[in-house]
Amino acid sequence: MEEDEIAGYVTAYLKKKGFTQTEKIFQEEFQTNKTNSSPLEPDIAKHILSFSQLESGPARFHDGYSRLRSWTHCSLDLYKHELLRVLYPVFIHCFMDLVAKGHVQEARHFFNTFREDHEMMHLRDLQKLEGVLSPTHLEEMEFAHSLRQSKFNIKICEYSYELLLQHLHSTQSTTILGIINEHINFQVTPGQPSSIVDDPEAVTLSGSSQDAANQINQKEIHWGLLEDSLEERLEKASSLLSDSEKGEGEAKEGETEENKKRPVEGGKQGASIKKVKKDKGGSATGKNTKAEVNTVSAAPRVKPELPMPIIPTEVEQSILEDLRNRVQLSSVALPSVSFYTFLNTHNGLSCSSISHDGSLVAGGFSDSSLKVWDMAKLGEQTASSLSQDENDTSQNPQMGQSGGGKRQYTLFQGHSGPVYAASFSPVGEFILSSSADSTIRLWSTTYNANLVCYKGHNYPVWDVQFSPVGHYFASSSHDRTARIWSMERIQPLRIMAGHLSDVDCVQWHANCNYIATGSSDKTVRLWDVQSGECVRVFVGHRSMILSLAMSPDGRYMASGDEDGTIMMWDLSSGRCLTPLIGHTSCVWSLAFSCEGSVLASGSADCSVKLWDVNTSTKVSRAEEKSGNASRLRSLKTLPTKSTPVYALRFSRRNLLFAAGALAKNG
Amino acid sequence: MSIVGKERIEVIAQSIGITNLSPDVALSLAPDVEYRLRDIMQESIKCMRHSRRTTLTADDVDSALSLRNVEPIYGFASGGPLRFKRALGHRDLFYIEDKDLDLKDVIEAPLPKAPLDTAVTCHWLAIEGVQPAIPENAPVDVISVPAEAKKNEQKDDNLPVDIKLPVKHVLSRELQLYFDKVTELTLTQSESVLFKEALVSLATDSGLHPLVPYFTCFIADELHQLMPSVVTCLVAKRLGSRLADNHWELRDFTANLVASICKRFGHVYSNLQSRLTKTLVNAFLDPKKALTQHYGAIQGLAALGPNVVRLLLLPNLEPYIRLLEPEMLLEKQRNEVKRHEAWRVYGSLLRAAGQCIYDRLKIFPTFPSSLPHAVLKTNARVLMSSPYKRKASLEQLEEQPPLKKTNTDGEVGVVLTNSSPSHKQGEAGTQASSVDSIIGSSSASEQMKNDTISNAVVRSNKVDTRSWKTSAALAQVWKDELNSGRILVSLFELFGEDILPFIQAPELYMFL
Repeated sequence: MEEDEIAGYVTAYLKKKGFTQTEKIFQEEFQTNKTNSSPLEPDIAKHILSFSQLESGPARFHDGYSRLRSWTHCSLDLYKHELLRVLYPVFIHCFMDLVAKGHVQEARHFFNTFREDHEMMHLRDLQKLEGVLSPTHLEEMEFAHSLRQSKFNIKICEYSYELLLQHLHSTQSTTILGIINEHINFQVTPGQPSSIVDDPEAVTLSGSSQDAANQINQKEIHWGLLEDSLEERLEKASSLLSDSEKGEGEAKEGETEENKKRPVEGGKQGASIKKVKKDKGGSATGKNTKAEVNTVSAAPRVKPELPMPIIPTEVEQSILEDLRNRVQLSSVALPSVSFYTFLNTHNGLSCSSISHDGSLVAGGFSDSSLKVWDMAKLGEQTASSLSQDENDTSQNPQMGQSGGGKRQYTLFQGHSGPVYAASFSPVGEFILSSSADSTIRLWSTTYNANLVCYKGHNYPVWDVQFSPVGHYFASSSHDRTARIWSMERIQPLRIMAGHLSDVDCVQWHANCNYIATGSSDKTVRLWDVQSGECVRVFVGHRSMILSLAMSPDGRYMASGDEDGTIMMWDLSSGRCLTPLIGHTSCVWSLAFSCEGSVLASGSADCSVKLWDVNTSTKVSRAEEKSGNASRLRSLKTLPTKSTPVYALRFSRRNLLFAAGALAKNG
Repeated sequence: MSIVGKERIEVIAQSIGITNLSPDVALSLAPDVEYRLRDIMQESIKCMRHSRRTTLTADDVDSALSLRNVEPIYGFASGGPLRFKRALGHRDLFYIEDKDLDLKDVIEAPLPKAPLDTAVTCHWLAIEGVQPAIPENAPVDVISVPAEAKKNEQKDDNLPVDIKLPVKHVLSRELQLYFDKVTELTLTQSESVLFKEALVSLATDSGLHPLVPYFTCFIADELHQLMPSVVTCLVAKRLGSRLADNHWELRDFTANLVASICKRFGHVYSNLQSRLTKTLVNAFLDPKKALTQHYGAIQGLAALGPNVVRLLLLPNLEPYIRLLEPEMLLEKQRNEVKRHEAWRVYGSLLRAAGQCIYDRLKIFPTFPSSLPHAVLKTNARVLMSSPYKRKASLEQLEEQPPLKKTNTDGEVGVVLTNSSPSHKQGEAGTQASSVDSIIGSSSASEQMKNDTISNAVVRSNKVDTRSWKTSAALAQVWKDELNSGRILVSLFELFGEDILPFIQAPELYMFL
């Protein structure tokens, strides 16, 4: 049996590669060997016979596949779902083989006959492959190319594997056998077949060869927070404060740094006044969240790998002030949401960004302009003339026209193509914009002028993001790379290459040592900023990735895609914790609250959803053992009035800002 | 499946002047063109996504072309998405509508308004997770319904979740105060200037929309206090201080008001309409009351709908007209005012009855000629409902001598039980024969009249009492039709030709 198989493989391989001469010789030799030594001769002869019979003719793919298909559908229920997994790779490779051999008509026919089977799971892939009509296309198209290069990993139990092999041998489907050997990597597990539930995870791992991905994901990453961060300093400072105020009696409590709420309550006299003043969402949540363990401070500390910029003391003071006044959010204490609606955009708004304190809002437009609104000033205006504003809308534009300088926003012009992304520096004095003209520009909000133009990408730059500490920024582009830059150099510091398609979005890790990129190849990658290496590949999305967010404790990452699915990943293991299903359209934006307990998502379906992070991660861990499918808890859906949500931002005080352009007529 | 076939390549080649394209070239070009197209579409979708849109525009395709270093296609710049129209006669052929414009119109057209500049507004989408009910947010009911659904959904999951009760729609303190004040004003000092100002604010302030359901409830609650005064306006003996005041108009207006109140709040007040009609009918039937009161009652009843008229007015119509008639005649009523009032009442009665009968006729679709016939043949008692049957029977009437009376009544009953206005034409034949038999059996004595249908219009007004008897058998089956026919006949009898304008044109034509 063993030798038979080998012979089968060898012949299949030779045939495949077109070494007809070699094949003939090999077979002759093999046969003579066999006739001399082995009693299996008739079997071999049959094999060879079948080879020669099926040698040519594209029909063998069709026949082979349909036979395999009908057999699979008739197989035992217990093993059926495992065997069904085999069909899809076989299907697409049969198709591509046919195309590669130039049988375009047959390929079409084959594709149309069986495409229905796979439409549910792989609609997008099929749509892509549908257009492949000549061997050259196979070479050109990155998706087909990557499919040809890589292997499918399929988890399958011992018995299913045996069944499959038996079937293939008994029916002498050498063509199919060849495909399976060439493109499928079986991970045979002993014992019972796996449950159907973990299907999506285990079945169709494709793209870059999963082995490589697994290997990459073995690497160690330090997801902890930075040493000596402001938050840490605040805790120390406030614990000291509480110590000194409360006296030695409760000094013990003050030392437990895990609980951040306590110090704040300790310094009641100072804080209570501010509490009243702070963001309107603030009151009455303190008591509820008392018991909550603060995940931020529980995270391990790591050293920064990049030289960190120095923060001016007054800025530091204001940040510390914000941190002290932060509202604790949880599943019972939901955030307040302030919504910025863009009016009269005439379908031209292509991105939006909100500064960390929510006072500045930027909009990137398809007419190459970038506009920045100062909401603090706007607020003053509207507050003084509120009643006026409501009634005579006609007066406003007139004012705008008469005094050209009296525009409500600051206009930044310089790009020569649609502005696809904008990002504020942490303090808000700089803003970055990226455009279809393949440049990134740095603007100063204090001087209202363009400071630097960064050229490096060769194609439209889809996304740009300031690092959490400022100074550094990352960009991603249609040229399939992501780049790290610093403000003072016009050349990129690092180029991250590895994605198989456009890099659509980019996000910094909380400790600035990593960036995550989401791509049209449906994967998310995590890159080490210092070395420029890919350290994680996250596979599981079914469509293009549009948004990313990192939890403030650095442990989790959320990614949202074109279909409305959000996935929560554990960075250290590289596995998906839970898919969050609820949105019905593109997830444009994701944001974690500052202490990481709530995830907000904004979507094209005109809603902001709030998700509970704490319970979800816990639940999923518990359920991992029991083997149940778990769903992250949706806390609340906040529908807007026909306004798709483009951007979200939690301020340092945990007030959620959202922005979107009002879409007329739905 | 292939979007671009060989034929299309050939057509395109011809259109750009290449006539000698070999089929082989077309065959190999077609798949490549399709691949390129798909490639461009894939890139344009990327551009669309990055512009945060879900609708593909011509700009996206242009961007995709420039990504591939292809010259963009000019002439399709558009702000909004293009609207495609389906070509007539083709299932999958679309085109962009391109209207012909007159150059003169374009030149002479005034400059369009300058588009409004982009602006940003700010509002609270949620405060501590609760959405305030402000105009900028989606309406409240949209919010609360999914909340319910979500709650159920979460119950199904056996996750250890603590279910949060749906948040009740909370009114702000200011709104509550406002509501209390306005209701208090309404009940106590509805004359004051303050109240008038409150009314103005109620009518104009858009921020009050959360209060609308509460005000509706309030009005519904206070309705019983409101109704008597309204009804007074309708059936009071004298309205206004002077005789010359146009109280008729007030009564008309009140009648409509009463009807709309009944319609709007009838479901809250189950006995509202019955009490109202009782009052009105009492006023109408009391001969001691003044004619103006009668007028109001009639108008009120008429406004409540034709059914009310049919059930309450029409049965009393005949005796009432008899009472009214002397008042209308110059010889008997010398008082000008009184006579005028009588005519007014007569007019309103006529209108009510007319509307009622018009409504009845409307019930039967495509009823162009049946009722006039019914009237014409009141003697014959052929109160047909279906025009098909009518036609058929008419034809047969013409063809066959009306002496045919072979069928018995019993048979007729059987056949007729399954006859209804919706019967198909196919059955018309059998129907017609049975109808014929009815005619035959019932109109034994009126054959002559049947023959002289067209000139018997005036005479036919007179109800042939004998025919009522024969129709009794049919009454069970034909009740509705019969009723309406009967009503019409009696109305015609009472009002003469005055009722005619209320009957649809074809019937009228038949009469004249």
